[in-house]
Amino acid sequence: MDQLPARPPRLALPDAEPVVALRGLTKRFGKVLANDQITLEIRPGRIKALLGENGAGKSTLMGMLAGRLVPDAGRMEVHGREVRFASAREAIAAGIGMVYQHFMLVEAMTVAENVLLGQEPGFFLSPRDMERRVAELAAQYRLDIDPRARVGDLSMGEKQLVEILKLLARDSRVLIFDEPTAVLTPAETFRLFEALWSMTAQGKAVVFISHKLEEVLAIADEIAVLRSGKVEAELRPEEIGSKADLARIMIGKDVLLEVDRTAAEVREQVLDIRNLNGLGLTDINLDLQRGEVLAVVGVAGNGQKALVEAVCGLTQPPKDTIFILGKPWREYYADPDWKHTLSYIPEDRLGLATMRNKNLVDNMLLTTRKGFRSGPLLQKARAVADTRELVRKYDIKPGRVRVLAWQLSGGNLQKAVLARELYREPRLIVAEQPTQGLDVAATEEVWRRLLDARDMAGILLVTGDLNEALQLADRVAVMYRGRVVAQFPVTDRDQVDKIGLYMAGVTDF
Amino acid sequence: MPALRVIKRDEPWRGGALAIVLGALAFSLGAGILMLAAQGKSPVQGAVVLWQGTFGNVFALEDALRKSVPIFLCSLGVAVAFRMQVWNIGAEGQFALGAIGATWAALTFPGLPKIVLLPVMFLAALLAGGLWALIPAWLKLKLKVSEIITTLMLNYIAILLLDYLVFGVWKDPTSFGFPMTPEFSPAAILGPIGGTRLHWGFAVCLVAGVGLWAFFRFTLLGYELKAGGEGARVARYAGLPYGFLVGFVMTVSGALAGLAGCVETSAVLGRLQPSLMAGYGYTAIVVAWLARLEPLPIALASFLLAVLRVGVENLQLEMQIPAAYGMIMEGLILLSVLAGQFFQTFRLGRREG
Repeated sequence: MDQLPARPPRLALPDAEPVVALRGLTKRFGKVLANDQITLEIRPGRIKALLGENGAGKSTLMGMLAGRLVPDAGRMEVHGREVRFASAREAIAAGIGMVYQHFMLVEAMTVAENVLLGQEPGFFLSPRDMERRVAELAAQYRLDIDPRARVGDLSMGEKQLVEILKLLARDSRVLIFDEPTAVLTPAETFRLFEALWSMTAQGKAVVFISHKLEEVLAIADEIAVLRSGKVEAELRPEEIGSKADLARIMIGKDVLLEVDRTAAEVREQVLDIRNLNGLGLTDINLDLQRGEVLAVVGVAGNGQKALVEAVCGLTQPPKDTIFILGKPWREYYADPDWKHTLSYIPEDRLGLATMRNKNLVDNMLLTTRKGFRSGPLLQKARAVADTRELVRKYDIKPGRVRVLAWQLSGGNLQKAVLARELYREPRLIVAEQPTQGLDVAATEEVWRRLLDARDMAGILLVTGDLNEALQLADRVAVMYRGRVVAQFPVTDRDQVDKIGLYMAGVTDF
Repeated sequence: MPALRVIKRDEPWRGGALAIVLGALAFSLGAGILMLAAQGKSPVQGAVVLWQGTFGNVFALEDALRKSVPIFLCSLGVAVAFRMQVWNIGAEGQFALGAIGATWAALTFPGLPKIVLLPVMFLAALLAGGLWALIPAWLKLKLKVSEIITTLMLNYIAILLLDYLVFGVWKDPTSFGFPMTPEFSPAAILGPIGGTRLHWGFAVCLVAGVGLWAFFRFTLLGYELKAGGEGARVARYAGLPYGFLVGFVMTVSGALAGLAGCVETSAVLGRLQPSLMAGYGYTAIVVAWLARLEPLPIALASFLLAVLRVGVENLQLEMQIPAAYGMIMEGLILLSVLAGQFFQTFRLGRREG
């Protein structure tokens, strides 16, 4: 999306009363303070952008507003009256609706059936009547969609329009969009923006959650920046000089946590990426030696995921672009050894790194099983003993090996994954958002373990947390729209100061 | 506002599996007896007849034991595939192919001594059932066709193939036009154990059950199958050979159903005829879910469902209940077990505030 559509002239609704007011909302998850005393006002006829990094607390905040989460403290007011939502249904009844990243549609039904699902007037339905109602609604907000089309046949952008229509049909006055452009093509993004403008022109309030700076600058009437669960700033687009300024506010400079770090001895090359094009990536050239940490940073959704999945064998890269431990990708993945090879610590701890309904022994075996074979048999007793030892050494609570993966807290589950992967004595570690959602103590431990692991491995650290990157890395590579726009040693202070700019795609200054 | 609400459990429900199964059985039996009332029959009398035709009668119990053999073997096979989340509902067809394989061996080498012929029949049955099940595995991996559809459709093809053989090329010329093969030679018959009415198929069940239990518990491949059940993405993460595993479970699954077909043909019928196809392959699916895919509970559940079959047959005779009643009961049990699994992850509690 290189040119965004020009913003149409705004309707003047200067001092309209807020539809929704949040006063001092606070939400904790265990030790993590996800939202800290948040106060915000949402006004009719305006688009309010909520900007922040992953884990800044955007989704938690909107979850409370949409009735999915109950706040621990603070109040919510709709039209000046205090409300408490016990479910999403109650929020919708109060006129607050949300379009999630993952659509909740019945693929086998038509657009009209989906839109009116759950609010049919009686036992007998008139498809023609339903289609007419939905067509009128779509025309009113200038949404281009055929009410008779089957949802399964629609593009992502069209499905999103169906979600919007569902909210409009329920007379929602506040429409919340969670990262709405993540799944859209540039052309569909244009159309979504036009729909948002058309809705605000008719008095709806829109909340636009995003971490894409240019989009926020293009469409927002008001911008609230969230960082570490707090409202860091409330701005109008006119007040912002450039994307870079906005990026600086979003990322911040304050160091939250520090670790002592001494350089490790740099040895042989363990990863080499040459001219990688495809999979949404352009011209990627990276290399990594044993003994060093290379941090790949960037705003989420700029190609980091594709890079990690290709390196870690989940998707197949083009030929002769990725070399792992000196071998071409295909040769390496033909039959990788369990030990002294690549360890992948994925962001998705419960869905990918572990089996949620299996105990710690079974989960330990997931990547180490070949180390416990004798002939066709599995040495279960030794696996139990070694798991027990790891649980003790890494202090994985609640300290039993029969506990199922889903019963562990995020921090303990991550320690379990780390324990298993380091048990393999890897030569190359790919760590993806390794401390996301962890508290300070767990974060520090993960960092320490990773730094210690440099003796045996080279570490590719993919993170959205800039502080983490600067604390751990020897070198930093910044990704923007599938490219590495800058790569430099962490000692180069000049360059480090410009990371915010690079992340926003600004390279000419 | 209702006073109850659904709450997600923090801990797995200890003993929940058993409670759900017993609850589902009680619910289905209760609903089944009430259905009699809807037919204008006395539910009380129905319950009494059902009891007399099952646990109240030694012959009925023996009959149930014999019927539980094919159900058990098919269900073991189905459970192997289900553990890896491969939805093989083709046990019925694989059972038919096993019977065809065994019959081919029995008709081709009637003169062989028993100690050679029976193993040849078993081998032919294992191969026929296993290869038949490999077709949907191949379609799933190469063309991404849902195995649910292909295994089901192959059932009809297998049954038609069996009909073609017994109505045509293998038809006994002395059967007065009845569709059946000639009787097997005595060497092809799996005989009774000692002086009992039970046949050596029970020994086959014991070996298969213990073997499979040990396979899943002690072997690397068994572990990989369980892990592979988490899906293709996790399999790729863990470096599991997903395609091989899918092919393997389908082959084992089909081979076990084929084994059931061989035992049933050889020990019970002594020839191949269409009455062989009594729907054991479908009952096996109900059994597998009732038993949560574990071998020992599968044995118990196989017996229970066999008892139900025998009891319903008696009900048909004594009270003129339609034949579909048995199938309705099985369907009820399966659906209530599946619905009951909701309570494994959720519980009902009081609404807060």
